[in-house]
Amino acid sequence: MLRRFEVYALGPDAPVDGVHALEAACRLCGRFIPEVLDCAIGRNLSDAPVQLVWEHAYASPDAYGRYMVHPYHAVVVDRHLLPDAPERIVIDGPLGAGLYGYACDTPAYRMSGGGVRRLVLLRVDNEASETDLSRLRQELERTPEDVPEMVVSVMAANSMGSAWFDGVTPIMGPPRWTHLWEQGFPSLDALDSYRRGESTMAGVERAGWDAGTGGIVKRSAELYYEVWGG
Amino acid sequence: MMHLVDTIEVESEHVDGYLELVRTLGMAVMTDAGATFVSCATTPGGLGEPQHVQVVWSCDDFVHWNEIRKNMVLDPRYHEYGSTAASLRVGGSRRFFVPVTLSPSP
Repeated sequence: MLRRFEVYALGPDAPVDGVHALEAACRLCGRFIPEVLDCAIGRNLSDAPVQLVWEHAYASPDAYGRYMVHPYHAVVVDRHLLPDAPERIVIDGPLGAGLYGYACDTPAYRMSGGGVRRLVLLRVDNEASETDLSRLRQELERTPEDVPEMVVSVMAANSMGSAWFDGVTPIMGPPRWTHLWEQGFPSLDALDSYRRGESTMAGVERAGWDAGTGGIVKRSAELYYEVWGG
Repeated sequence: MMHLVDTIEVESEHVDGYLELVRTLGMAVMTDAGATFVSCATTPGGLGEPQHVQVVWSCDDFVHWNEIRKNMVLDPRYHEYGSTAASLRVGGSRRFFVPVTLSPSP
């Protein structure tokens, strides 16, 4: 499977109608392109300078390829996004290219009944060993053992950032954010409970990632939003 | 064959600048990416209201457009073209048109 996020910074003069149209275009995409799975949007509630997140997935690179050439993508979604599109309402954001995602074997990201998605963008030292990366992934994905309110915890390389054309083949240099830690919580209160809590990973995050990760996480940023499904 | 029709609303004093942008940077970016220029036209000026510039490009189909889009996005000039165009327009739309066959009347 391919898990994918598009993150948009809206122009300061973006018309409300245009924003609602973009939200609808993303949220309802799966109704028009069956290959687009688990389609949902959310308004970012973190301090990161982006406003809208579109999360979705594909069963395979072939399915992703059918999305890429579907008229709905070109006509309805891109109308709001492409740099030369007259109805564009987004701006280039300071978080880097607003497309992140990863390959996975199963839809471990799914939350039943909605909730709050938190996406932690990580820049991992490119000198980090596979052993260190594997240990970090295991630590992050084990977090729900300490934090029962965290119902989703998936850490993976941000492969979609540079392989956005076919989901597999990098066509750009390494992404600014090398890895993603995708989390799910049943509510904002549950997310807040994790952040304020005494779990190992909450402490690591509060300490700026220096402790407990071998120093391989060089930078991080977060987005979180209430999931609004299609 | 499919047509991409951009209809751009531009204040009259910016029409010449917009046309020059299309003639230079727009033409280079779009044709290098694989699109074919079809036509460019404007509504009459001097009438006390913004003008519309219609620019038409063609490509084979949405599969072809997907390749063109990739080539554009990877071309640094495309982003300059987009930002300059945005600074000159006050509105507009983009629509894709696919051919239809009109049967003769019975």
